[in-house]
Amino acid sequence: MNIHTGRYTASQHDRQSRLLWTLTAVVIINVPHFLHVPPWVTATLIAACLWRYLLEVRKRKLPSAWVRVPLVFAAFAAVLASYRGISGIEAGSALLIIMLALKLLETKQSRDLTVVTLIGWFLMFSVLLREQEMWAIPYILLGSGLALAALIQTRRAGPVLKPAILLRQTAVIMLQAAPIMIALFLLFPRIESPFWALPTAGSSARTGLSDTVNPGDISSLSQSDAIAFRVTFDGAVPPPADRYWRGPVMGYFDGRQWSWGDRGLRASTAQRSSAEEPVYTYELTLEPHGRQWLLALETPLNWSDEKAFLTLDLQLIASQSIGQRIAYQARSQPRAPSTRSELPRYLGAMKFLPQNSNPKTLQLARQLRSESVSDSDFIDKVLSKFRTEEFFYTLTPQRLGANPVDEFLFGSREGFCEHYASALAVMARAAGIPSRVVTGYLGAEQNPLADYWIVRQSDAHAWTEIWLNRRWVRVDPTAAVAPERIEYGLEEALSDADITVGRAIMGTTLISQALLSWDLVNAYWNRWVLAFGPEAQQLLLGSIGIKEPSKQHLIIFMIVALSIIIAILAWYLRVSITPVNDPVRRYYDEFCRRLQKAGLIRRPDEGPATFSSRVGQQRPDLRAEVGIITHSYLQLRYENFENNAAQTDFISRVKRFRPRQRKG
Amino acid sequence: MIVGTAVFGDLRRRLAQRNRDWLKKRQGPDGLSVTLHRRRIYILPTKAGLMYGAVVFLLLLGSLNYANNMGFVLTFLLAAIGLVAMHHCHNNLSDVTLTFVAAEPVFAGQDAQFEFVMDSHGSRWQLELGWDRGTEVTVDAEGNERVRIRLPLPTKRRGWIPCTRVGISTSYPLGLFRAWAWVYMDLHALVYPQPVATQAQLAPASPDREQQGLRGLGDDEFSELREYRRGDSIKHIAWKSAASHGRLLVKEYREGGQMPLWLDWNHVAAADTEARLSALTRLALDADKNQNVYGLRIPGAVVPPSRGKQHLHHCLRELAVFGTGGKPE
Repeated sequence: MNIHTGRYTASQHDRQSRLLWTLTAVVIINVPHFLHVPPWVTATLIAACLWRYLLEVRKRKLPSAWVRVPLVFAAFAAVLASYRGISGIEAGSALLIIMLALKLLETKQSRDLTVVTLIGWFLMFSVLLREQEMWAIPYILLGSGLALAALIQTRRAGPVLKPAILLRQTAVIMLQAAPIMIALFLLFPRIESPFWALPTAGSSARTGLSDTVNPGDISSLSQSDAIAFRVTFDGAVPPPADRYWRGPVMGYFDGRQWSWGDRGLRASTAQRSSAEEPVYTYELTLEPHGRQWLLALETPLNWSDEKAFLTLDLQLIASQSIGQRIAYQARSQPRAPSTRSELPRYLGAMKFLPQNSNPKTLQLARQLRSESVSDSDFIDKVLSKFRTEEFFYTLTPQRLGANPVDEFLFGSREGFCEHYASALAVMARAAGIPSRVVTGYLGAEQNPLADYWIVRQSDAHAWTEIWLNRRWVRVDPTAAVAPERIEYGLEEALSDADITVGRAIMGTTLISQALLSWDLVNAYWNRWVLAFGPEAQQLLLGSIGIKEPSKQHLIIFMIVALSIIIAILAWYLRVSITPVNDPVRRYYDEFCRRLQKAGLIRRPDEGPATFSSRVGQQRPDLRAEVGIITHSYLQLRYENFENNAAQTDFISRVKRFRPRQRKG
Repeated sequence: MIVGTAVFGDLRRRLAQRNRDWLKKRQGPDGLSVTLHRRRIYILPTKAGLMYGAVVFLLLLGSLNYANNMGFVLTFLLAAIGLVAMHHCHNNLSDVTLTFVAAEPVFAGQDAQFEFVMDSHGSRWQLELGWDRGTEVTVDAEGNERVRIRLPLPTKRRGWIPCTRVGISTSYPLGLFRAWAWVYMDLHALVYPQPVATQAQLAPASPDREQQGLRGLGDDEFSELREYRRGDSIKHIAWKSAASHGRLLVKEYREGGQMPLWLDWNHVAAADTEARLSALTRLALDADKNQNVYGLRIPGAVVPPSRGKQHLHHCLRELAVFGTGGKPE
């Protein structure tokens, strides 16, 4: 048995080991950042880590303030120059990484290493602001585990732990923390509106529909396999020709591009539905796109998000930008009657064309209109022009100049959906017919492994709506040029040369199977983990009988749940250190306690026999009884383990044993 | 300014004393063996713990603002780790048994060593033991191992010095919380006077025996056998008789072969009482080293001539407690 004397002072080996653990944790936490920040930021952090470690190994002094302070300014300037500012998640992360690197150069004590670890956790959070894929969970667990291990090592008042013991301690803490974390995740009251404005996405703009349509926008979007949203139909699934997912409506044309303008006027009356036509009910999990519009199957009748509203041009608009994945239910009727009165001013605006732009198109339109008997006839003539003449449907059309519609109709004659939709709308306006361009998605791919549908960015589409016979009518000019696009999707409609390599690979069944399985897992992830918000929380509590919980209810419920978990944890910890229940031992301890009260204290180095003989010498009056009790204790302990009669006798003797304090 | 600091310092001292008294009253005095129950363990976050809490709070604000579920996962994981760490910290201290073993006497100026043993069920980590001011010893106790601990207490004066209280604390596992407990055992260590060399000679009982400073063991006259006592030299054990009697017997020598030396208060020239005691201490140590038979004669106490460790301790104890009123052992 060693005698412990003296306070712990850190050895060279301890310091080195602590530093190494902390550096490892910090570097691994930052790996996802390395893919996004400029290379010099990564290089700075790695260099700082290596430099610091070398200084420790070689027992050199840390760089003085004369070196560090200029480095801080230089790094700050470099971040400013790289990002033209320090606002936004990307620039903020880069700045934090640089600060961390420079902090490393002045870490002397374990307290400094603690600060480094805490900065590491901030950086992990900034990774999570950008990346929410499923790997975020293993990333959080691995990164936090390493940081935790580093913290255990650095905060230890004692020599560093061996890796096996360290890992066990880390794992125990993580495992015990897990249920508390889950309870907090499910029950902590969520808020619906942010405290402060969300920084704009900056350079990390997300793929998705835009609030303007330029020739070439949607064709470039179509080359992305990214998911736009996933849909689960409750009951019937609409036929392919009715799978128009309505997004932003473009009503303003400046001669070159169509734009969204504003989010439009809120519709004052509910959308009417027709009793004969089918209604589809579905749940949609929308990927974040940073804009305010929601996607819905045409024409939305009602939806679960109470703050969202329908505009006069039938766009579904959310109360704020979609910065996170959200899920909502909706009901739509593709063939809903769209007769409604429109404001004359609005219809006037939908007829507006800028002067002096696309003159040839205007002339052609006026000519065709004069040849037509009605507005509908005019539209048919335009469509048959697209169908009968040499127009091509391609993902890679020529670039167009100042009068894109003229150049398209009379020059290149090749284009994607937005070229045709735009040309048709301009022709209609030139003929005095109100028209607008609608963007959204067309189609959906079913995941055969589960009952849900995937809509990708490659399904992005643009079509036209024309005011005919006092109602808005959807006219999809792409159908005239490439009818396969509507029925069978993009790949069928494109020539082979247009299909990119990536999409060709997806065609092989095995890989596409694997990709679909992966997407299934991701879909569950998105639906049940990432889209867990205030509404899902209410649903969860509702399902266990707490209807319409208020914030106060939630807080009380959370505290109760946490108390229960912590009580279980505390009980578990206690149980693990309580000795086995041994009545013989317990009563012998009681016996010693009674003797102690009488002033006879068993020294720690005394065995029962020596203690008994010493008591016998000091207190002859107790010699007999103490001798008997000690003797039977030793018998029960070391010779005769399971003698119940002897045990009962021993216990009753101890109970009767009441030594008195010696007088005087 | 200086007055202000002094007032504040005084106030702080008095508050600290009050706090100590209150704690002691609340817990009551302790026996020589104390098991730390949950009710006497205190716990508070450390500076690092407050920093950690601030980080968790900021992450919570960020997660709420961005409605970022992965952010929530990280935030709540950290919060849960903090809670778990708090429980581990508290548990690490509870049910630890601290038992006093002994405090070996030392000379003034040396550190008195209070020896304890610590028992626990299960492993304990980073236990820090000390007096009022900070940690003296850091211990890891793996498994059910019994741990021996020696706590040094610096001494200046001779006599019985009390230990104020034993602090036992831990910041295991993450250093975010510190749990501690105070143990008020009634412990004293004996501090001998500091030995100081002197010119004084040992005074023999009779002037004509003055030359005989040294004496050989073989010259002694064997007188009797007696029971073994702690401190007796192994050389004096009568192994043959011990074997036949079944207990340890020691040969006793009559000191008649030689006149004993007297360490006499009045024979030592010194400036004051303390110097005199120091000188007598030195003389006693020398006499013991030379294996003389010696006695001690100071005002109020006389130790009859003898020799051996036990005797030396007896003499030194009389010197240590001289004029202090003593304290029963």
